[in-house]
Amino acid sequence: MTAAEPNACRTPDFVLAGVRQEYRRGFPSLDGIDLAIGCGEHVVIAGANGSGKSTLLKMLDGLLFPSAGTIAAFGADLTEDAFEDPGFRREFRSRVGFVFQDADVQLFCSDAFEELAFGPLQLGLPEEEVRRRVDDVARNLRIEHLLDRPPYTLSGGEKKRVSIGAVLTMQPHVLLLDEPTNALDPRSQVWLLEVLDEWKRLGNTVVIATHDLSVAEEIADRMVVLSEDHRVVADGTPAEVLAMRDLLLRVNLIHEHAHRHGGVTHMHGHDHSGHGHEHVHG
Amino acid sequence: MHIPDGYLGPQTYVVLDAAIVPVWAIAAAKVKSTLKARQVPLMALGAAFSFVIMMFNVPVIGGSTGHAVGATLIAILLGPWAAVLSVSIALVVQALLFGDGGITAIGANCFNMAVVMPFVGYYVYRLIAGNTDGLRRRVISSGIAAYVSIVVAAIFAGVEFGLQPLLAHTAAGQPLYAPYPLSVAVPAMAVEHLLFFGWVEALATMGVVAALGRSDSALLEMKPAARPLRWLWAAFAGLVLLTPIGVLAPGTAWGEWGAEEMKARLGFVPEGLAKVGGLWTAAIPDYAPAFVKNPLLGYLVAAIVGSVIVVGVTWGVAALVAKRENDDESSAAAA
Amino acid sequence: MCERDIRPADLGGGRLRPSLARRTAESVGRHVSEVLENEDLATADGLLQRIDPRAKLLAILLFSVTASLLRSPWLLAAMFAIALALAAASAVSPLSFARKVWGSAGLLAVLLAVPAATRLVTPGPVLVPLGALSLSTPGVLGAVTLVLRVVASAGTALLIVWTMRWSDLLGALTRLKVPDVIVATLAMTQKQIVSLMRTTQQIHLARESRTIAEGSVAENRDWVTGRMAFVVRKSIKTADDVYDAMLARGFSGSMCLVARVQGGRRDWAYLAAAAATAAALLGIDRAMLR
Repeated sequence: MTAAEPNACRTPDFVLAGVRQEYRRGFPSLDGIDLAIGCGEHVVIAGANGSGKSTLLKMLDGLLFPSAGTIAAFGADLTEDAFEDPGFRREFRSRVGFVFQDADVQLFCSDAFEELAFGPLQLGLPEEEVRRRVDDVARNLRIEHLLDRPPYTLSGGEKKRVSIGAVLTMQPHVLLLDEPTNALDPRSQVWLLEVLDEWKRLGNTVVIATHDLSVAEEIADRMVVLSEDHRVVADGTPAEVLAMRDLLLRVNLIHEHAHRHGGVTHMHGHDHSGHGHEHVHG
Repeated sequence: MHIPDGYLGPQTYVVLDAAIVPVWAIAAAKVKSTLKARQVPLMALGAAFSFVIMMFNVPVIGGSTGHAVGATLIAILLGPWAAVLSVSIALVVQALLFGDGGITAIGANCFNMAVVMPFVGYYVYRLIAGNTDGLRRRVISSGIAAYVSIVVAAIFAGVEFGLQPLLAHTAAGQPLYAPYPLSVAVPAMAVEHLLFFGWVEALATMGVVAALGRSDSALLEMKPAARPLRWLWAAFAGLVLLTPIGVLAPGTAWGEWGAEEMKARLGFVPEGLAKVGGLWTAAIPDYAPAFVKNPLLGYLVAAIVGSVIVVGVTWGVAALVAKRENDDESSAAAA
Repeated sequence: MCERDIRPADLGGGRLRPSLARRTAESVGRHVSEVLENEDLATADGLLQRIDPRAKLLAILLFSVTASLLRSPWLLAAMFAIALALAAASAVSPLSFARKVWGSAGLLAVLLAVPAATRLVTPGPVLVPLGALSLSTPGVLGAVTLVLRVVASAGTALLIVWTMRWSDLLGALTRLKVPDVIVATLAMTQKQIVSLMRTTQQIHLARESRTIAEGSVAENRDWVTGRMAFVVRKSIKTADDVYDAMLARGFSGSMCLVARVQGGRRDWAYLAAAAATAAALLGIDRAMLR
């Protein structure tokens, strides 16, 4: 994996205080969010569709700014003004990578090579270094054969691989993923979880927004639940949170008739011993 | 209405290619000031939907279907300047990706479909729709705007075609580019669009506006009407001036005709043109100097008068729209 | 909805005109596959594919202008012949190339040119006496010149478009100092066009698959314009999302591309050859006039 050095972790990666975000006056998509995400943590933000988890992810990536409250990353305030500073923008973008839910949106270049090279080039890296990073990531993700293909000739799973590769070439410390398992075939899902396991081993931070609770069990060590009125209603280990059946029912993450945690479906095709997996059977 | 390469001579396409560049530059500056860096994806998507909308078969009557250009629709949705860029990009991509539409004629095509059409369409729409929130009035306004704008654009294309036999032909009278005189090309383009393509454009635009109005009325929010656009008018005026210069200097491109031949050439008049010219000479009193009776001059005057009318009407509409907005603002302030 | 995938043709209506939805789906599908085939053609091993896209871009301009300046129909025909030969040398089937050029631009030009050959439009000595519709010598010459000019321009442009990958074209534009914002927009436009065309094709196929009888013209039109509105909505939503995705990867207002095709001396030799050809054509053309 193209990972950075182990991190110093002096400050939490993200600190949100009293964050509110309105998409229209009087219509919040997030409300009263107080949340700190530590360095090296693996957090799943769970919530029903429309609960604001994608919005939260976009705020962590400095794409949206709070209507009220503050958000800080690596000890610095994230504001629109801060991003006007090219130095800050470059530093922040190189440390935080965002994998969008819709790979079609994320892949905007003319072929996969350009996709992987886009980030490093925007960071102003020399061409040699860009090529080296593209080659490394392509090899690690096993997508070398896709490099000269335009995005519209790729399958869904291949697109997801390329869009993750496009973020990893920036060698970020934080990876933000929006509904990463949506629309992935089983083999690609296994592949994704392997990539995330590897990521975890290197001490980097991961924040995943999803309504797929099996992802939380597989890779998270912390789970934050957003309610349908856009507030944090639970925050704990996956084991603790998944045990709160009533709460999960209330926020529309599970359904009476779905016995998710009676018979957990495992997507991994390989052994996880040593990764500290916990399976919760409610 | 796409003019392929080969129909327009260099005197015409060079003028239009040169004229379109400053228009693009102004459009880019306008769009950038409102959209900032977001302009890249928005213009790209605007261009993509402009391109794809041209591929829909719109049923008109009986079994007949036609393709709409969509420039007025895009001007209503994104504003006229953004429409200039979106439709232009769509036309450029069409030329470079599919080899359709011509390289040298890009300026002419962009001028007709990406400048004339969105601006005429936009201002006609604003004039009729005013600041109404009523979907019905907006739908009808959009249809009229689409119809008028494509007919005007077609007339521009007709003029460009019709100038060719005047601008370039051999001494024997053999036309080098599009062969039809103005008296054939302009009515042909106008009638075709008045009778058929105008309706395609109007029905398509009305349908889309109605559908968007029912589901996402926010998309139909009125874009602020630009003040009468000095730069655009300067470009129009430049074109009107440049066109006659092109007509009067047809030899310069070849550099082969002396004054004698030039006179011989100017003496040659296609039959259709002779009729227009006849109208002109008939209207000129006998005591006028001889050169005023030249049918070519008659045509030129007609071309200039026509352009002035189009520019004047559009300008008037733009001024009216801007004034009405001012009034609304001040009355809103008063209230 | 109960979808049984019955098409009019399955109901014994095989000779019916294909439905509107089917015709649109097919024509859009042809465009999509054209883009994909271009990709194959442009990466094939051939003469033009080996040339730096910058040289080809300049050549496309050079030949378009040359085609517009020539006056002799012979030389215009020669230009098209050169294009055919280059096609053959560049893994492009000359037959499909000629069919494409003559089938679209050429055919239209012929239809337009024929009436102009008559004395009604172009006066002059009679070449073919047909009463009121007699063809004049300058008329016929003019018509032939127009058709050949259109075909020569369309042919050279198409040949270069077919042998150049879109991504290389964009790289070439960047290196020819075309502003990044334009190149970035073109890159995104092409990708979105393919994506929207696929959506459009799917929409029409889905319609076709549950159509048993075609509705009235007004119903069909409402359906078509409703789908156009859908494409508009989808585009605007996608534009916002793509912008976020660009920002997330450090977009700072300019695009950077890595030059993966290195131009060499050979490419400039090709360009010089192209310029010499163009100059020779123009020179002969002028000489023939005297």
